[in-house]
Amino acid sequence: MLKKRARFWLAMSLTLSLLAFSYACGGKKDDTGTGADNTGGGGDTSSKAQEWTPKGDEGSITGKISFTGTAPAPQKIDTAQDANCAAKNPNLMTETVVAKGDKLQNVIVYIKDGTLADGKKLSDYSFKTPDTEVTLDQNGCHYVPHVIVMQANQKLKVINSDQTNHNIHALPKSGGGNDEWNQSQGPGAAPIMETFKRPEIVPIKCNQHPWMKAYAGVFKHPFFAVSKDDGSYEIKGVPPGKYTVVAWQEKGPTESKPMEVTVTKGAATADFTFDASAMAAITGSNSSLEVVPAIELPMLGNH
Amino acid sequence: MSKGLHRFTVFVTAATFLLIIAGANVTSHDAGLATNDWPLSNGQVFPEMQGNLFWEHGHRLIAASVGILVILLNIWLWRSEKRSWMRRLGLVALGAVVAQGLLGGLTVKLMLPLVVSAAHATLAQLVFCTMVSLSVFTMPGWSEPRATVEEKGSVSLRYLCIAAAVMILIQLVLGATLRHSATWDQHLPTSLLLSHLGGALLVTLLLGATIITTLRRHAREIYLTRPAQIAAALLVGQLFLGLAAYSTRQASPNGPQPLSPMVAITVAHVACGALVFAVTIVLALRAFRVLRSSHETSRSYQRLSAEPS
Repeated sequence: MLKKRARFWLAMSLTLSLLAFSYACGGKKDDTGTGADNTGGGGDTSSKAQEWTPKGDEGSITGKISFTGTAPAPQKIDTAQDANCAAKNPNLMTETVVAKGDKLQNVIVYIKDGTLADGKKLSDYSFKTPDTEVTLDQNGCHYVPHVIVMQANQKLKVINSDQTNHNIHALPKSGGGNDEWNQSQGPGAAPIMETFKRPEIVPIKCNQHPWMKAYAGVFKHPFFAVSKDDGSYEIKGVPPGKYTVVAWQEKGPTESKPMEVTVTKGAATADFTFDASAMAAITGSNSSLEVVPAIELPMLGNH
Repeated sequence: MSKGLHRFTVFVTAATFLLIIAGANVTSHDAGLATNDWPLSNGQVFPEMQGNLFWEHGHRLIAASVGILVILLNIWLWRSEKRSWMRRLGLVALGAVVAQGLLGGLTVKLMLPLVVSAAHATLAQLVFCTMVSLSVFTMPGWSEPRATVEEKGSVSLRYLCIAAAVMILIQLVLGATLRHSATWDQHLPTSLLLSHLGGALLVTLLLGATIITTLRRHAREIYLTRPAQIAAALLVGQLFLGLAAYSTRQASPNGPQPLSPMVAITVAHVACGALVFAVTIVLALRAFRVLRSSHETSRSYQRLSAEPS
């Protein structure tokens, strides 16, 4: 009888453990809140689509990123756990939301999709990968710049200007086509060269210094920009056509409400406004910065 | 039985507990990938302990020390322990520690996949449980005959203890999976969080029933009531720590980095969970040592009566 009961409990515990474990392991690890493959057509960047070449009639999309409400004040980062960081950058502040007046910096604005004047979809074209590198510097125990933008397969050069070890840990969305990688880089070490194959906004962090975060916006095409400290941005070299433009901010939703923009030779304008009013009250949210319906100003230039 | 062996076993058990605390700190500080190599850190045995490398490499050093201690314990057991199953249990502990080290390396090399990280955290609790059992079994007098106590009531206390221990283990697996599902700056998955809360309820019910049954049925058996009382205190503490860990974590994602209150309380929650498991194992082992059902008692009596005098 005793053996029978013991067997019963053993089987019971094993079954429950396995059930719990299999259930638990079914959860998704990825919760970056950035949304992957929403960055300009997605898809395989190595497809045999017709390569787009500038024809000289390109225009641009410019605008300002504003916010309403009160932006959360930057918080001082405690860098005491690494004396090198504390010495080099004693007043390091968070860069989650960088605002000047009512203007927002570090917002990625990009063309999500659209139709060119020739009637073809943007996603029907392929785009030459630039030969230039995009540099991400670890300087003063934070990433400079905080947000970078690049084309898929363009080279990312990571350098370490600090006298301490960093590790660069890229966290693309699981199953999105980009590989997760993590590399240590000591003081004076050779630059790390990496690429992202697929369009996605990839969070990058340093596990040695957990406050260090950056974002790499990776796009299939070259039609993207990052807002400057005055909230302004400019997407250059846009072929004539009608496009859907969106804005992304790291504390905001996956992307803003899309804005339809018609580009002809000249400059079209698209301003975005984020609602920061709820930010101070919200805790633990990666989506506390809400985008209010976008305000589209009349097109300037030839339209 | 050697007092020295028992003391050394308790020491190794305490070191294992310290290792659990160190591991919990690695997770809470999000330090698991502070270096991309293993077993060395940045190619060194003793790297400069900057930033989160302090937690990650510190964890590795403590783990290596525990590994050496368990090897020494096995040597001691094989030299002086007469019970062959104890020597085998020592080998099980050693095998588990080796497997634990390999899982630790694997989770770093594979960049913290949930399954491997959760398995690493769960096996840590099982290693601790094995060490606690070894500490109990090496207690002076454990092998000597002891007066048995008849089980009372319809539900066996021994099986209640097993049910509670199994539920705690399941809860530890859920907790480990929950912790490794999201870093400090991400939302905890709701389904896992609810599972962990449900697990807490079941643990409270089962362990609570075990404690109350022990205290009511065997009030004079301090051998049983002592671990039951400790389990009660730890359970209450663990529930409060769980609530506090959740509250502080909710506040943490907006912080510039893992904040000290969140880290301290979450680590305490992990450590207290290990202690709840350990004391339940002690209670179960003691219950199985002294309690006999009336059926078993009468059978023993019949066997003794049948033996020629």
